[in-house]
Amino acid sequence: MLQKIYLAAFCLMLIPLQGFALEPSEKLIFEKNSLYQYIQVIEDTVKKERYVRNQKKEFTQGGIYVNAPDKLRFEFTQLFFVSLAFLDRDPNDVLFVGLGAGAMPKYFTGRYPDAVIDIAEIDPDMVAVAQKYFYFKENERMKVHVEDGRLFVKRTKKSYDWIILDAYQNESIPFHLTTLEFLNEVKSRLKENGVVAANIISPYRNKFFDSMVMTYKKAFPHFAIFKGKNSANFIFVATTGSKIRNKDSVKATARKIQSARKFDIDLEAFASRYEPSKEYEWGGAKILTDDFAPVNLYQYQKSGAQ
Amino acid sequence: MIKFAVFICGAIVMSFEILGSRVLAPNFGSSVFVWGSLISVFLSGLSAGYYLGGRISDVNPSSRKLAVMIMTSGILFVTFPLYSTPVSDWIFEMDLGVRLSPLVASIILFFVPSDFLGIVSPYTAKLMICSLHTSGKTIGTLYALSTFGSIIGTLITSFYLITLAGVNALIMGQGVLLVALAIPLYIMNLSCSIEPTASAGVIRDIK
Repeated sequence: MLQKIYLAAFCLMLIPLQGFALEPSEKLIFEKNSLYQYIQVIEDTVKKERYVRNQKKEFTQGGIYVNAPDKLRFEFTQLFFVSLAFLDRDPNDVLFVGLGAGAMPKYFTGRYPDAVIDIAEIDPDMVAVAQKYFYFKENERMKVHVEDGRLFVKRTKKSYDWIILDAYQNESIPFHLTTLEFLNEVKSRLKENGVVAANIISPYRNKFFDSMVMTYKKAFPHFAIFKGKNSANFIFVATTGSKIRNKDSVKATARKIQSARKFDIDLEAFASRYEPSKEYEWGGAKILTDDFAPVNLYQYQKSGAQ
Repeated sequence: MIKFAVFICGAIVMSFEILGSRVLAPNFGSSVFVWGSLISVFLSGLSAGYYLGGRISDVNPSSRKLAVMIMTSGILFVTFPLYSTPVSDWIFEMDLGVRLSPLVASIILFFVPSDFLGIVSPYTAKLMICSLHTSGKTIGTLYALSTFGSIIGTLITSFYLITLAGVNALIMGQGVLLVALAIPLYIMNLSCSIEPTASAGVIRDIK
């Protein structure tokens, strides 16, 4: 009797979720049901862009300009780099949790060739896609570890200057990468005055967003938020230090590394979007823990904040 | 009362399985290996329970013995938070690999409770079969109730319960429910004797 339930559940998991219409200019160049997701590589033949997506257009994970694969195509990936301006030094050891199309680590290593980069990505097919279609290449300084991000963070003995958390998909957020315990584990892997930056997606103010703000607040005494203008992304930037840099200081550093490292994006303009976390805090939101983290349901519930 | 117990036990098995995925995620992630381990261990526990339950129900079945089985699983549930974290941490430290770690953790954490809940189905069938003429109907009803309970348990847990309370609180709450269920079964002390020649059996109090 119970077996039937399991059988039905398994069958549901195996149904390929596809068939979403493409734009006339779009061409499907690869698709696969991996262990974790339905991966689609799409090329826009008019715009000359290539994306990696799950199912719908809104679920684009990353992409590149076909003629300029080293540029950052998406705003949130550009916005992430403003968090470098919170460091008081050049980052030597860097960890990315979540690979996507691999655009960010590729862009980063182009500007900081001496940095040692670890990338934790759970899906081996995503690594293959990044390599085959998005010009992502590992080298002796940049290694992908095919492992659950949380497990990598728990297992590693290394400490990092800069940790990038970008492992949430639009609709399926792994709850164990949202909790206070996870953030504390991340914090324990940061060097002194290290910086962690995370991509939180919230199409409208939802309960998940409120809870993430309060959970970061609990784990890190100070953090700042950078809001996407043409996307639903919010980049949280937190530091382990007892003081966080203020807006002017971040802008000044952004300007400095912008020219020193030849960024082709306007880091200073991004820095001016700096908002202290206070702007978004709402005391009524519940902190997410390993014990209590209804993230999927919270995504569909409106924020209680005004 | 016995039918109610079957329904509740069916609901709790599946609810526990959903919550089990949450218990494992911090140390073992939420990969397919974790789900595969969890599902196979629950099924192993249940099949062992069905087998055992069938065997022991052949010897002087009574609702009092059934109550002890349910009570035992209830106590395992109530004390679950006490041992789940040390066990998970211990297996995480041993690092048996992406497949074996969640499998071993699932066996230690979930096999015994699901085994005790598996005993309930055949045992109640035995208790309720008082007439060989209607035994098919009785068993069918119990199967349906148990699986219907499982459906309700799955839906309520994943749709609502995890927004209401923490995982540990929910598992302990289920333990309390199991204990509460066992008490009347113990007091009632029902048993059933099958009279080979009679067309209808009787349920009677032993005392």
